[in-house]
Amino acid sequence: MALIELREVTKAYRRDSVEIPVLDRVTITVADGEFLGLMGPSGSGKSTLLNLLAGIDHPSRGTIRIGDTDITRLSDTALTAWRGRHIGFIFQLYNLIPVLTAFENVELPLLLTRLTKKQRRDHVMTALGIVGLTDRAKHYPRQLSGGQEQRVAIARAIVTDPTLLLADEPTGDLDAKSGGEILTLLQRLNGEYKKTIIMVTHDPHAAERATRLLHLEKGTLIEQERVS
Amino acid sequence: MKFLGLTFKSARRSKRRTFLTIMSVAIAVFLFASLRAVLDGFNAGAEASSSTRIITIRSTSLIFSMPTSHADAIRSTPGVQDLTWANWFGGIYKDPKNFFASIAIEPESYLRMYPEIVLTPDERKAFLEDRTGCIVGDGLAKRYGFKVGDVITLQVGIPTYGTRDYDFTVRGIYESGGAAVDNQSMLFHWKYVDERSLVKGQVGWYVAQISHPDQAAQIASAIDQKFANSPNETKTDTEKAFQSSFVSMFGNLNLLLGSIALAVVITTLFVAGNTMAMSVRERTTEIAVMRTLGFSSMTIFLLVAGEALMMSVIGGALGITAARLIVNPDFMQAGAFIPVFGVNGRNVVTGLLLSALIGVLAGLIPASMASRLRIVDALRRVA
Repeated sequence: MALIELREVTKAYRRDSVEIPVLDRVTITVADGEFLGLMGPSGSGKSTLLNLLAGIDHPSRGTIRIGDTDITRLSDTALTAWRGRHIGFIFQLYNLIPVLTAFENVELPLLLTRLTKKQRRDHVMTALGIVGLTDRAKHYPRQLSGGQEQRVAIARAIVTDPTLLLADEPTGDLDAKSGGEILTLLQRLNGEYKKTIIMVTHDPHAAERATRLLHLEKGTLIEQERVS
Repeated sequence: MKFLGLTFKSARRSKRRTFLTIMSVAIAVFLFASLRAVLDGFNAGAEASSSTRIITIRSTSLIFSMPTSHADAIRSTPGVQDLTWANWFGGIYKDPKNFFASIAIEPESYLRMYPEIVLTPDERKAFLEDRTGCIVGDGLAKRYGFKVGDVITLQVGIPTYGTRDYDFTVRGIYESGGAAVDNQSMLFHWKYVDERSLVKGQVGWYVAQISHPDQAAQIASAIDQKFANSPNETKTDTEKAFQSSFVSMFGNLNLLLGSIALAVVITTLFVAGNTMAMSVRERTTEIAVMRTLGFSSMTIFLLVAGEALMMSVIGGALGITAARLIVNPDFMQAGAFIPVFGVNGRNVVTGLLLSALIGVLAGLIPASMASRLRIVDALRRVA
């Protein structure tokens, strides 16, 4: 069953009076439970595509349907609320809040819910348990390694049990060993917890972990490849 | 409430900057409260003055005296129920810098007309019976350690009163029952001073008790009419106007001190606003991340504005607390110049509201900046 449907999605930025095309009539369908890898050289539009799927950017044309919702029709306020419920975002540079502990960073999205303090605590500890960092709950980001920071970021992304996990170069700032651990964790989330994941990467080794690969070049989808 | 912890944590991001911002607000509120305390202290006497007492002085100036013969004429004015008088003695206690008000009074009528001077019956009796006795306010007694039975020697400050020192025996320590009477003064018998004065039978001001406040203007006019075209013309006014005339001798204090307070507050507003704007600029990525996680523009606005408000109110509370501790007669030796001196409850509330206003205004622009941040642009700045 298709979870995501992008139809003829075009995105162009305007710099002064010049229009710069980034995505050109991209049409993609992603099934529920898929682990999709998005590859392509710098400037190919893969991060832009991820931003559009996350609802933090708007397409110039085309429609994006995720589940039952055409997110291109949502107002900014509705899109923000939708994003909080349905999207878990993993950044290349982790982007944890430095003044918050690992626990508090993971709890952050839950502050927007109606959960009680105890329920929030249970959810956070579950998420930290999945990424194997319950013993680091009280640590600040500066007290964690890069790999641990990214695992906390993944815990933050999954703590609300979102419909879709979006990862933008999740191993781009990590050494090979830590990167491998993160990819294994993502695979586990996909395989064991049935999370639909879309991961942007230009690392072929990382891309191998996906179940399907899409190649973008100059904003156009040029190749689809099933890995496993 | 669940966002309060987040606000606290954000404020602790740059501890030094937060501390300095809080201190700038604290100092501004401290200055504001202190200046208000000075103004209120000056105005307290006038505010609390009796509406049934009117004061007669020489029309030329308070520093010129009138003859005691005026007393009968004033007493006989219709509407006048009672009369007393006093002289500014201007005595020096050991050193001119030990300033406090020393006033020669007609004791029996003065104590009758000023029920705000609270004495025990024994102290009152002892004072009335001793021509060289005096009473001192409890604030003054505390300041110099005066006790009942002590002898206070005052040097003559005004040549009219002769050249020899005056000895007074403390017969009572009064409490002030209202702001119209301060607790920093020394009062003694007019007769004792008059006997040794070079010019006898002189009075600095008369105080008349009237039956109805509504008649004050009419009675005052009638009194002044009696002395019109005489060598000792008078000017009679309400006690409030008399007290206010002391304040006006210092110039337009309200305008002067008010302007200083306003300048300090506006400067602090800019400092706090700039600090918050810097803080938001540094947190661009974090704000973008929070927006990505589902925090709405309004939530971000409230978080940033709340942080500015929190810092400012903490600063305000510190400033007010410091003002309460420092600006009071027990700590500062300003009591004799500004007898009712201290940060009152109204100024505490005003100071806290002012700090909240600084916080709200300082946070408005940075909070607006933060809430309108475009997520993609903000994330791209660091990527």
